[in-house]
Amino acid sequence: MTPRERIKAVINFRKPDVLPWIESMYDETVLAWFGQGLPPNKITMIEWEVGRAGTSLCNWPAVKGFDAYSYFGCQSFYGATIPVDIGPIPRYKLKVLEQDDRYVTIRTETGAIAKRIRGPEQTWYSMPMFTEFPVKDQKTWEAYKKRLNPKDPRRYPKDWNRGDYISACEDYQQGITTMRFNGFYGFGAELMGIIPFNLMLYKDPELIHDVGDYWEYFMTETIKDAVETLKDRVDMIYWWEDMADKHGPLISPKLFREYCLSHYQNVTSFLRKNGIDRIMVDSDGNINPMLDLLIESGITGIWPLEVNSGMNGIEVRKKYENKLFIIGNLDKRELAKGGEAMRREVNSKVPALKEMGGYVPGADHLIPVDFSLEKFREYADCIKKLLPYM
Amino acid sequence: MGETNTTEILEIVRSISNLERLSRIKEIVETAVKRGNTATEIVEKGIRRGLEDVGKRYESGEYFLSELLYAGEIINGLFDVLKLYLKQDEMKPKGIILIGTVRGDMHDIGKNIFGMLAQFSGFKVHDLGVDVEPKRFIEEVRKTSPGILGMSTLLTSTLPQLKVVIDELKAAGIRNRVKIILGGNAVTKQFAEEVGADAAALDAVEGVNICKRWVAAQ
Repeated sequence: MTPRERIKAVINFRKPDVLPWIESMYDETVLAWFGQGLPPNKITMIEWEVGRAGTSLCNWPAVKGFDAYSYFGCQSFYGATIPVDIGPIPRYKLKVLEQDDRYVTIRTETGAIAKRIRGPEQTWYSMPMFTEFPVKDQKTWEAYKKRLNPKDPRRYPKDWNRGDYISACEDYQQGITTMRFNGFYGFGAELMGIIPFNLMLYKDPELIHDVGDYWEYFMTETIKDAVETLKDRVDMIYWWEDMADKHGPLISPKLFREYCLSHYQNVTSFLRKNGIDRIMVDSDGNINPMLDLLIESGITGIWPLEVNSGMNGIEVRKKYENKLFIIGNLDKRELAKGGEAMRREVNSKVPALKEMGGYVPGADHLIPVDFSLEKFREYADCIKKLLPYM
Repeated sequence: MGETNTTEILEIVRSISNLERLSRIKEIVETAVKRGNTATEIVEKGIRRGLEDVGKRYESGEYFLSELLYAGEIINGLFDVLKLYLKQDEMKPKGIILIGTVRGDMHDIGKNIFGMLAQFSGFKVHDLGVDVEPKRFIEEVRKTSPGILGMSTLLTSTLPQLKVVIDELKAAGIRNRVKIILGGNAVTKQFAEEVGADAAALDAVEGVNICKRWVAAQ
C-alpha cells in the first residue's frame, strides 16, 4: 500500500498493511534540530525553476523547504492541500506598527494587531498577544465582508485547471489530499478575539447569526468548484476550530447548537453529496462535551486529543466506536521525556488503538521546539516497531 | 435584613446565576437599594453569591467559558450601578493577589479571566501583565505584599520560568510571605508540587476557589 492508501484505509476503519504514523512539526523545531545534528542535506527539498524569480531564463535550483517527515519515517499531517484561498482578499497590509528591543507590534494580514516578543526568545509559532481585532460590531463586520467575495478569481491558483488537478490528486501518494477550512467558532474568534466573540454570543445574537450565515455561504461558494471537480479525490477535510481549553469547550454546547450546528450540517452535507465524508475537526483542549454535537454536525474525525486536557483516545473509541476516527493522543510531554516515560505512553495506547481501528498514532499536537532531536529519534524508533501488522 | 430585603437579594443571586439580561438585573439591584439594602449587602450576599453559583455551574459542566465571561460582563455592569453607593471603607478586600504571565509567554486570556473573577470575589488584584521577568515578580512581592502570587503560562517551553521565580523568591528569603498558585495550559498539579508551588488550578474558577479557601483558613 502507498502512504496515502494506508491513511485512507485507517480513517475509513479498514486495516492497512502497516499502520501509518502522522506528525506535524513546527518549522522552528526542525530549525532547532539542525543545531542538534539533524543533517540538512537529508531533508532539504530542492526544485529547479526559472532562475531568480523569473529574471533570467536559466533553470536554477531553489530550496523549497524541508521534509523531515520522510527522514523519520512518518507522514506529514497535511499531505497535499488543495490551494483554495479562504482568507480575506485583499489581505490587510502586513505592517510593523511599533517595535523596541523586546517587542514588535504588527498588523497581521487578517487585520488583527498583535504584539510579539523579539530576539532569541522569540517563538514564531506560539501565539502573540492580540490587542485588537478587525471586527467589533455590525459596521466593522460589513466592512470585513467585502474582503470575503467567493467569486474573486484570486481564490484559486493561477494554474487552476480541473483536469491537471484531478491528475495531480490521483498521482500524489506520499500522503493524503486535504482541504482546510476554518470552523464556525474558530472563524468568529479569529475575527473578534476569543473574549469579545464569546461575549457577542450573548450580547449581539443577530451579528453572530449573520457571521455564521455569511461564513457558510462564502465557504460553500468558494470551495464549490474544487469540491465538485475533485470529489472523493479529497481524502480528508481539516476543519480548524480550537474551541476548547483544559476545562472544556469555550462555547457551550447549547450555544454551539444555536449558532454553529446547522451551518456545519449544511457544509458537511454538501461535501458528502460529493463523496467527501472524512471530515476532521482540529481542536485542542477538552472537547469531550462537544463530541456528540460534532457527530451530529457531520464530523467524522478528531485531532489531536490533548492528554493534558483529559482527552483519552481509548475511551473515545469505546464510546463512539467507528463514528469518529482519531489522530494523535500521544502525550507530547511524555514523549519528549524519552526513555521509560515515552515508551509507557506509546505502549499504553498504540497497540490497543491499533487493534480497535480508526486510529492514526502521533503526538497530541505539533512537535514543540523543546522536544529534542535525540528524544524524537528515540520516539521514532519505538513507535515504528509497533506499526506493521503481523 | 428584613423579609423584603432578603427577597430582593435572593432575586439578584438567581438572576445572575441564570444569566438574565443585564438591564433586568440592574433594575433588581436598583430596587434592592431603594428598599434599604446597603450596597455592601448587595455585593456580598447578592452579587458574589450569584457569581459563586455561576462558578458552580461552570465546574459542574453546565456552563462554559461563554457563560463565565457573560457573568463577568453582568457583574461589571452591576458594579457600575453600585459604585455610587459603595463607600471605600465598607469594602475591605479579602486579600491581595499579584498575577502575571511568566517571561517568554504572551498569553493572557486565562490570567485575565482569573483576575476578573478574583476581583469580583472581593480580592484586590495587581496584574503585572505578560512576559514578566522574574526579578519583577520579586520586586512586586516586596512592594505590594500580596498574600497570594498567581503565575501563569500556556507554553511548555516557558514552564521552567515558574520554577525560576519560585527559586528567586526563596533566594530572596520571601518565599514564605506568599501562597503561590500556578495556572495555564502547560501547568499540572504534579508540576506545581515539583517546583514548590502551593497549588495549581485547572481553570480560573478553581483558582479563585483555592484563593478563597486560603483566605478563609487564615
